[in-house]
Amino acid sequence: MPPRLDELTMARRAASELEPGQVVALGSGLPVSVAAVLPPDAAVQLLSDAGALGYGASSDGHSSTGPALASPDGRPVALQRGGAVVGMVDWAAMLRGGHVDVALVQPARVYASGDLLGWTTAATPGLFAPGRTVDLSAGGRKVIAMLPHTGSDGSPNIVADSSPVADGRGCVNVIITDIAVIRVESGALVLSEVAPGWSYDEVAAVTGAPLAQASNLKEIAPNLEALNAERAGKVFSDGPSAIADLHDGATVMIDGFGGPGGMAHYLLVSLRDQGTRGLTIISNTIGIARSVNFGTPPGKLAIDHSILVDNGQVAKAIATYPVSPSMSNPSSFELAYRRGDVELELVPQGTLAERLRAGGAGIYAFYTPTGAGTLIAEGKESRVIDGKEYILEQALTADFCLIRGHKADTMGNVVYKGTSRNFNAVMAPSARITIVEVDEVVEPGELDPELIVTPGMYVDRLVVRPEGFSPYE
Amino acid sequence: MPQGKLYDSPQAALADVQDGSTILVAGFAGHGVAERLLVALLEGGSKDLTLVYRDGPYASLGSGPLPAIENLVSNGQVAKIISPIPFSPGSGGAIEESWQAGWLDIEIVPQGVLVERLRAGGAGIGGVFLPTAVGTRFGADKEKRSFLQGEAVLELPLKADYSLIKVAAADTLGNAIYDGSGRNWAPVMAMAARITVAEAGLIVEPGELDPEAIISPGIFVNRLVASD
Repeated sequence: MPPRLDELTMARRAASELEPGQVVALGSGLPVSVAAVLPPDAAVQLLSDAGALGYGASSDGHSSTGPALASPDGRPVALQRGGAVVGMVDWAAMLRGGHVDVALVQPARVYASGDLLGWTTAATPGLFAPGRTVDLSAGGRKVIAMLPHTGSDGSPNIVADSSPVADGRGCVNVIITDIAVIRVESGALVLSEVAPGWSYDEVAAVTGAPLAQASNLKEIAPNLEALNAERAGKVFSDGPSAIADLHDGATVMIDGFGGPGGMAHYLLVSLRDQGTRGLTIISNTIGIARSVNFGTPPGKLAIDHSILVDNGQVAKAIATYPVSPSMSNPSSFELAYRRGDVELELVPQGTLAERLRAGGAGIYAFYTPTGAGTLIAEGKESRVIDGKEYILEQALTADFCLIRGHKADTMGNVVYKGTSRNFNAVMAPSARITIVEVDEVVEPGELDPELIVTPGMYVDRLVVRPEGFSPYE
Repeated sequence: MPQGKLYDSPQAALADVQDGSTILVAGFAGHGVAERLLVALLEGGSKDLTLVYRDGPYASLGSGPLPAIENLVSNGQVAKIISPIPFSPGSGGAIEESWQAGWLDIEIVPQGVLVERLRAGGAGIGGVFLPTAVGTRFGADKEKRSFLQGEAVLELPLKADYSLIKVAAADTLGNAIYDGSGRNWAPVMAMAARITVAEAGLIVEPGELDPEAIISPGIFVNRLVASD
């Protein structure tokens, strides 16, 4: 038989599947080597469950200035410029929330259905220890399985049908082995590449499932050049261009707290100027800073959601504070609601934050005690768990999210300042397109990776708030 | 006597651990392990413990929680383990032997599910519907439901009596920061336990840590001991 590929060649072939800009989560075993074969400035971000987002191989342990970080198999790694330190909660949420483009795993067995099994041993037949495998399999938008084509006894690791028990169900898109690249296409296996010297027949003979042959069967030839591409730019020249595709009828998250603290005022003005209509706004207040004085200078009006309401752009709000605390000075939304111009879904503040988090973290729904037995519970499932009453609340997601950061690097990593963190940080992962208004954009590496609150994977566009821009008008 | 949250020794900080306690043990791949607290737990001799941790086959790469937990198991103190990967299968350590002998109970939970169950426990959530385990052996016996996003299974919160974490630095109010991979499970475990004990590399006065940099606010950290 011709020779089989070594681990690093397999890693190079796996890396050839990656595209610039992707976030890639690695499992243990063979996938770990992918970090070692990537070009130093590869335009992908590797995610380790040991807390490193955007790392590369490190030969001498951690860098002298950076934090001590580990790869998924515990080896020391160093952050690339623009990397961030994350915790286990973040890792899980990134995967489950659909923010990880590619997950690389080494299963013990792959089925023609795309199912996979993690490893166990003869010594532990009743105990399956998935570690991270189940999360990677369920969470990666594309799942690449890397494994030896056959076991140590020569039996195939790729087998027919589906698994009676599975650690991942129908999740595998591509299988990379030491002799072949096989694509899983609607429950069937298609051989697309073979290791040098191997033929279709030789590969099929050691594969335990029917194997179709791609019309253009090729020899495996890793090519990583595409990964040297420039990252797509996230910095927009101004507010109007950043929101140009924000369309009529969109759901938009916009927040901030109280008055001037932490609202994307410049983007709000841009949205008013654009005149987009029929918007559903998800926010804590739906504009009370304009009617309640949180420190507005005399003769001025605070910029808040009210400018959209006054302009007839809002159809509905999902909010916590829809009305002004002052009876004599109602908010624009309150007046519109009395007129019957807008709809309202009222959400307690903590529930709003948790529903937003759920949206970004891939939690479909959750039981919370907040609001049980009150008006908030009407129409919702109520359930007693461990002697306590809870109600079921659903995740919130949106088309766009307009948030207010302090500083960002060009990769979209954001830090906040004081009150501006509030709802902004929890909203950022929950929208399809997140646009951040910041005071300053810096180069990757200039923000302390331990201090990054919103990693760039959650941020699509950046706009610098113009110098001298006032949150009052 | 402790001064505020500050305890003289790891033994003093864990003196009230009762038999039957559930204890969360932070640390991952040799990072962020509260080694002195784990030694004190061994010396304290409390029994029938349920330990929640994630380690796996990293013992050779550094001092993860695994060696300390093997000691606790060998010492007959542990009744149950909840973990995504409690030991390296086939490695033949004390945990595997005790499990095979039938006197150690092991509950395996995928790690992303475990961390979310801990967060739910810490955040007062009664349960979360997660898609992760759908169709896998980890979702087989759970309540399943369809949502707009797809199918999900109900995962229940996990709370504990104690959490043993390692922090890079804390102020005397318990506000804590971490270093690199040392963060891992600690912030969420700190939320999920009734009493969180932090072993701190550095203990400073309030005001000395950048308030924007604090990861675990002091409300989640009940006791502090110095790591040396």
